[in-house]
Amino acid sequence: DEEFNDLCFEFGLELDEITSEKDIISKEKGAEKAKGASDIILYKIDVPANRYDLLCLEGLVRGLQVFKERINLPRYEKIIPAQGEGQKLIITKETAKVRPHAVAAVLRNITFTKECYDSFIDLQEKLHQNICRRRALVAIGTHDLDTISGPFTYTAKAPSEIKFKPLNQSQEYTASQIMDLYRTDSHLRHYLHLIENKPLYPVIYDSNGVVLSMPPIINGDHTKISLNTRNVFIECTGTDITKAKIVLDIIVTMFSEYCEKPFSVEAAEVVCPNGKTHIYPELAYRKEKVKPELINKKIGINETPSNLAKLLTRMCLKSHAIENGNNIEIEIPPTRADVIHACDIIEDAAIAYGYNNIQMTIPKTYTIANQLPLNKLTELLRLDLAAAGFTEVLTFALCSQEDIADKLGTDISTTKAVCIANPKTAEFQVARTTLLPGLLKTIAANRKMPLPLKLFEISDIVVKDPNKDVGARNYRHFCAVYYNKSPGFEIIHGLLDRVMQLLEVPPNKENGYTIKATEGSAFFPGRCAEIFAKGQSIGKLGVLHPDVITKFELTMPCSALEINIEPFV
Amino acid sequence: FTEMPTDNFVESSFWNFDALFQPQQHPARDQHDTFFLQDPAEAPELPPSYVAKVKKIHSHGGYGSQGYKYEWLLEEARKNLLRTHTTSASARALYRLACQEKFSPVKYFSIDRVFRNESLDATHLAEFHQVEGLVADRGLTLGHLMGILKQFFSKLGITQLRFKPAYNPYTEPSMEVFSYHEG
Repeated sequence: DEEFNDLCFEFGLELDEITSEKDIISKEKGAEKAKGASDIILYKIDVPANRYDLLCLEGLVRGLQVFKERINLPRYEKIIPAQGEGQKLIITKETAKVRPHAVAAVLRNITFTKECYDSFIDLQEKLHQNICRRRALVAIGTHDLDTISGPFTYTAKAPSEIKFKPLNQSQEYTASQIMDLYRTDSHLRHYLHLIENKPLYPVIYDSNGVVLSMPPIINGDHTKISLNTRNVFIECTGTDITKAKIVLDIIVTMFSEYCEKPFSVEAAEVVCPNGKTHIYPELAYRKEKVKPELINKKIGINETPSNLAKLLTRMCLKSHAIENGNNIEIEIPPTRADVIHACDIIEDAAIAYGYNNIQMTIPKTYTIANQLPLNKLTELLRLDLAAAGFTEVLTFALCSQEDIADKLGTDISTTKAVCIANPKTAEFQVARTTLLPGLLKTIAANRKMPLPLKLFEISDIVVKDPNKDVGARNYRHFCAVYYNKSPGFEIIHGLLDRVMQLLEVPPNKENGYTIKATEGSAFFPGRCAEIFAKGQSIGKLGVLHPDVITKFELTMPCSALEINIEPFV
Repeated sequence: FTEMPTDNFVESSFWNFDALFQPQQHPARDQHDTFFLQDPAEAPELPPSYVAKVKKIHSHGGYGSQGYKYEWLLEEARKNLLRTHTTSASARALYRLACQEKFSPVKYFSIDRVFRNESLDATHLAEFHQVEGLVADRGLTLGHLMGILKQFFSKLGITQLRFKPAYNPYTEPSMEVFSYHEG
């Protein structure tokens, strides 16, 4: 087990969990239900999101064996059948508005066992979730070729005109009935919306009018694959042709292992509405040249070109040194659609070498360090405020609309707040425009603490600003509250004076700060003042209005101070 | 290391994803992982020549890359969101560096808040802080990166490190760092 864990680690996979079916059921439903479940050890392996070739057991094992140099990467062959003998898929122009692209291929004389059959279905599901973006970009359909006869037509028809027996159903339904039928199905209902409101639904027929599938929802029962199936017709339809090609390549390369002629795939012809024909699967092998010095330099190792070529071959990128060792030619197989730049190749060389074998060094870059002035000011203030007897808090930057508007006695439209479109809970509807609600909520959560509660926070608030390139900006605010049996206005005022003293801002009108009595909706009338400094209003201080205090579920008087500290940087 | 300005929680998809080569169909750009904004919903301003370059690389490739080969949409890049990583600030910093007349090596860092649209549980919050560091110079290697990480973690008291290959849309080679505690 440990050996496998280490191997996965080196290769770039994460061995998440070692468990068994019995354990899984035990955890979810209790030990009683687990009796009789399989005890066979299961490995849960986390595969990186860009390695579609490692999503099934066949691909994973193949990749690891090439990595350990036990086998050579098989050569995937495309067999083009003689003229007129191959399968044909004709796309009509009606599909253009709903799901324009399709590719197809055939796996000839394949032998399924229970394990590889399950693996086959599983891979399709995994690809659907991953690269196909939950069937929105590409949908895969696999069919028993011996139950149907080509040429096949991929077209789109009105829902009422499509009628067939869906997979594992006992009777025929029209397309609209199928939509209703699967509305409550826990698995398929998530895909209905992809075609539901379109005037025409995609559908694939064979030459006798038998429905192969209605992508992306469901296949027909007629073409269901069983353990006895010998020839498989694979079609991938979708809105992204590049991804459809990749998906097809992955499926055929992974499972052609079980064909009579291993790793050979029979090509199929696809005719587009404009008359152009394409042969699929592409199974393209791409060649790239990378200089060995570049690889060595970027990683920080010093390997000979032939060694580097060996490392890359271990990662399924067959390579050899050319031009007398001045260059390395790499052949990228169709299973590695994730390799799109020389840096991908360099990464694979590094993985094969072993990240933990690379010598660690420090770059000789000579730079002079600098702290951002605003942050430096924040750090200095924080220390001194703590010294003044106030406790620092760190609160959420997101809050509900009421927190910054209704509970403070103002209307949301005057706050210039940034609103979130898709909050998961009502607690995170807007980005805060003031630090006050956060502090008050903190007090509410800490009522058991001894009084007086003196809290402060220096952090960012967010407001809309049409002058910024994104339409909003942050301001660094400082907010302090004093919560006790008596409001303590003098304490909060004293804190302001102390902060100004630290910032070396004198208490006069010309070049310092002043306060002026004002009315504030969140404050007690007659106990609120606005603070002016550097020619602008920088905030308010005062005793909080009893309404505000009750709305935040507090019971004692409270005084607060909030200012923008950016003018003082 | 010099501190980078990170004073914008609101970011456009362009700087948060597209400029970092994250494809527009990537699951992280889904509704359930990112906080998209209702107001302001779209970024009014994006650097036009840079946008054109990013569009080309995503859809056709360039600079030695095959690209993702899909249709890159400007409206998608304009969508505003609450940043999901401080790497968007790094992207801006690198852009400013690139616009300089003469290249000078730099080391940048930042520690600031990021937002992810996840349900809260014992180990996950919707907002958390990230530490970001980057070094830009000629002749940097993977060994240098690992060296800096080792020094950084040893200052935090963590000395046993192992590096594992990983995948990130915007870094290649990528790695995850695992540390072991003698406990």
